[in-house]
Amino acid sequence: MSVTDPQPPAPDAPGDAAQEALRDRIAADSLTTRRDYLRIVATVSGGLAVGGVAVASGILHRHGDSEGAPEVKKIADRIERGESLAFRYPGEEDRAIAVRMEDGTLAGYSAVCTHLACAVLWRNDRGSEGELYCPCHEGIFDARTGEVTAGPPPRGLPKVILVEQVDGSVWAIGTARSGESALEGFCRQNGDDRPGCPGFGAGGPGLKATERSERT
Amino acid sequence: MSESTFPPDPEAPRPSTPPAGGMDPEPPRPPAYTPGSAQPRLNRPVHERYPQIRPTSGYGDPRIRHTGPGPGAGTEQEPERSSKLSARLALALTVVIGQLWGLTIVVDEWMAGDTGTAWWGTGFLVLSFLVVLGLWAIDPKDR
Ligand code: FES
Repeated sequence: MSVTDPQPPAPDAPGDAAQEALRDRIAADSLTTRRDYLRIVATVSGGLAVGGVAVASGILHRHGDSEGAPEVKKIADRIERGESLAFRYPGEEDRAIAVRMEDGTLAGYSAVCTHLACAVLWRNDRGSEGELYCPCHEGIFDARTGEVTAGPPPRGLPKVILVEQVDGSVWAIGTARSGESALEGFCRQNGDDRPGCPGFGAGGPGLKATERSERT
Repeated sequence: MSESTFPPDPEAPRPSTPPAGGMDPEPPRPPAYTPGSAQPRLNRPVHERYPQIRPTSGYGDPRIRHTGPGPGAGTEQEPERSSKLSARLALALTVVIGQLWGLTIVVDEWMAGDTGTAWWGTGFLVLSFLVVLGLWAIDPKDR
């Protein structure tokens, strides 16, 4: 006796509905999964495309993104060697950090890690001359350039451009993105006709226009 | 789907050699596919038809040397159509993985201030989506 032997067909009275349900079950058992899966994959793919459009059109906040040139702001009367200072610039939600290294170099960066947005700390005791350290996943940034030296962050830190007056007070005058030098960032925000910028003196509007369109 | 019939089995008796009663030389087209079988007993779920086929089919049992058919044995009725669907799904998944990578690039370029490159990356994402959409649209009703 084998289990595959034909069994007497079900009595006809509830037969039709039961038969339909059975067919449904068979169809649902193994036959619909891949089609549904393909539809889900197509939906996910569309979501990713929409996400790309949203990102490129500016849904993500970048440090220092605001209308017009940022105002100049005094952040400290004095920063001693080996010290750091947390401040907010240019907006209230733009966390930033200013560092004075042992050799007197003054540098300012966004304090938001480019990996997953933890707070970046100044650690004077790490590395040969101190470094900017993200405790979340051991991300390490060079304090001189803001570039990534170790860990998972994908980009260097955006910069905050700091200047020091003769009396030792420190002022923030602008920002630069991860991919920019401080000068490029300054010129982007304040216009190219400033001293040191490519458009200075020439005053050519054409040059200004191309430069502007290259960097948002 | 209009599939040609299988190549004839060389061992099988030739239908083209006219037997008694003059058969049609064209082999009849296979009937349209409907799920399940005409015989109700074959429409029972597999685990009812073959209780021997268990989810592991004996793989977990140290006494079993030669495992029998696996859990899905005997369920495939149209392997050609089915494998095409699998291939479409595999291609779509591959494209989506590429899109995930592309999105990280777009975010990276945007955050670095390179908006032009970010838009190019977005174009890549949209094109990939069209490819997936095409893979789906080849036959949305396929199972
Ligand atoms: S958040 Fe800074 S390393 Fe991950």
